[in-house]
Amino acid sequence: MQNEYKDALEFSKYRQTLSVQRKTLKEKIEARLTYGKNGGIFKIDRDLLNFVEMLIYKDRSENVVILDVNENPILVENLVEFRDEIFDRYFSATFEYHEEYQKIKKSRSVETLVS
Amino acid sequence: MKKGVVIFAHNNRQIDYAKMALASGGLAKKHLGVPVSLITDQSTVDWLKESNLWDKALQTFEQIIDVERPADLQQRKFKDGKESVTAPFKNSNRSSVWDLTPYDRTLMIDCDYFIFSDALNEYWECESDILISTKYNDVQGNRIGYLDKYISDTGVRLLWATTVMFTKNENTKVFFELVKHIKDNYKKFADIFRFDNRMYRNDISFGIARHILYGFETDNDYAMPPVLSVPDMDLVYDVNENGIQLLTSNANDYTLCNIKDRDIHIMNKQAITRHIDKFMELV
Repeated sequence: MQNEYKDALEFSKYRQTLSVQRKTLKEKIEARLTYGKNGGIFKIDRDLLNFVEMLIYKDRSENVVILDVNENPILVENLVEFRDEIFDRYFSATFEYHEEYQKIKKSRSVETLVS
Repeated sequence: MKKGVVIFAHNNRQIDYAKMALASGGLAKKHLGVPVSLITDQSTVDWLKESNLWDKALQTFEQIIDVERPADLQQRKFKDGKESVTAPFKNSNRSSVWDLTPYDRTLMIDCDYFIFSDALNEYWECESDILISTKYNDVQGNRIGYLDKYISDTGVRLLWATTVMFTKNENTKVFFELVKHIKDNYKKFADIFRFDNRMYRNDISFGIARHILYGFETDNDYAMPPVLSVPDMDLVYDVNENGIQLLTSNANDYTLCNIKDRDIHIMNKQAITRHIDKFMELV
């Protein structure tokens, strides 16, 4: 087999592994950003974080109804506590995402990607 | 409300489901922090004792519930990469979980589902009485066919009974009784819903039961997260504290990848069996 073709196949294998690693990492973080509270399921994203922060800024921090992923109304008694929980979860998950993403980015072979 | 995990395991001559359930149950207990119970039969219990795993089983499971062994009504081809073996498939008693579970809120998982995160803990308090996965998530991402989403070309949505969470109440009793009715009249329902009835699948019965109970509509109610799945054409290369290394099958080749800290459904039973001691070391 010509060397050029062999190298291309090696690179193709690397890209396939890279693609699976990136996909599963993204899904892992999505799972970490799923948050169950008071019978509802929330997706912690920038919209939710901003909306909650805005409500607290407007002095609406007790007994607030927030729509969850299924658009169901969920009563949150203490919004400050809720905000702190979702902020903590968001920062720890995105930091983990960044750290693991950097590891993947720096890996230049199948062996380092899966180690 | 007492919550816990329930696993069914009925051994056949080829596959040691009980040992698989030990690993699966141990990992669920470790990562979710809830008790786990095993539903099994006397011959599988005898095998656990013969294999010197009985003490381990008593440590892992809060309760070991002995039920009648389901009949060997169907044979299934269990793929192992490019090889395969045919063995009896005893999956027909899942609908009895409502009667058998010792918990008020139960997470029922397959014994080839390995929990490596606490992600499912978010669903215990969810206000839905029953949650089932509606989506199959292929580990490689691109090997999902129409029949992984629907029970047939013209049928209703397929559900993935690999992870089912439910509260024991009258609503869920109706659900599981309907699943049993569909199982007992599988041929009739196959004629109505136009699915292949050669092998009994819980995923199909659960899908139809939910469709009927939601007024013959596809619902968008709460669901368990998509089941990250490794089809039986893939192989397990290694299992260690760095994760599960898999060889995922492409058209002519395999791709090596590593899955870490993710809950994972590995359909290749022989591949699990070859590495089962390594899975047990992670408990």
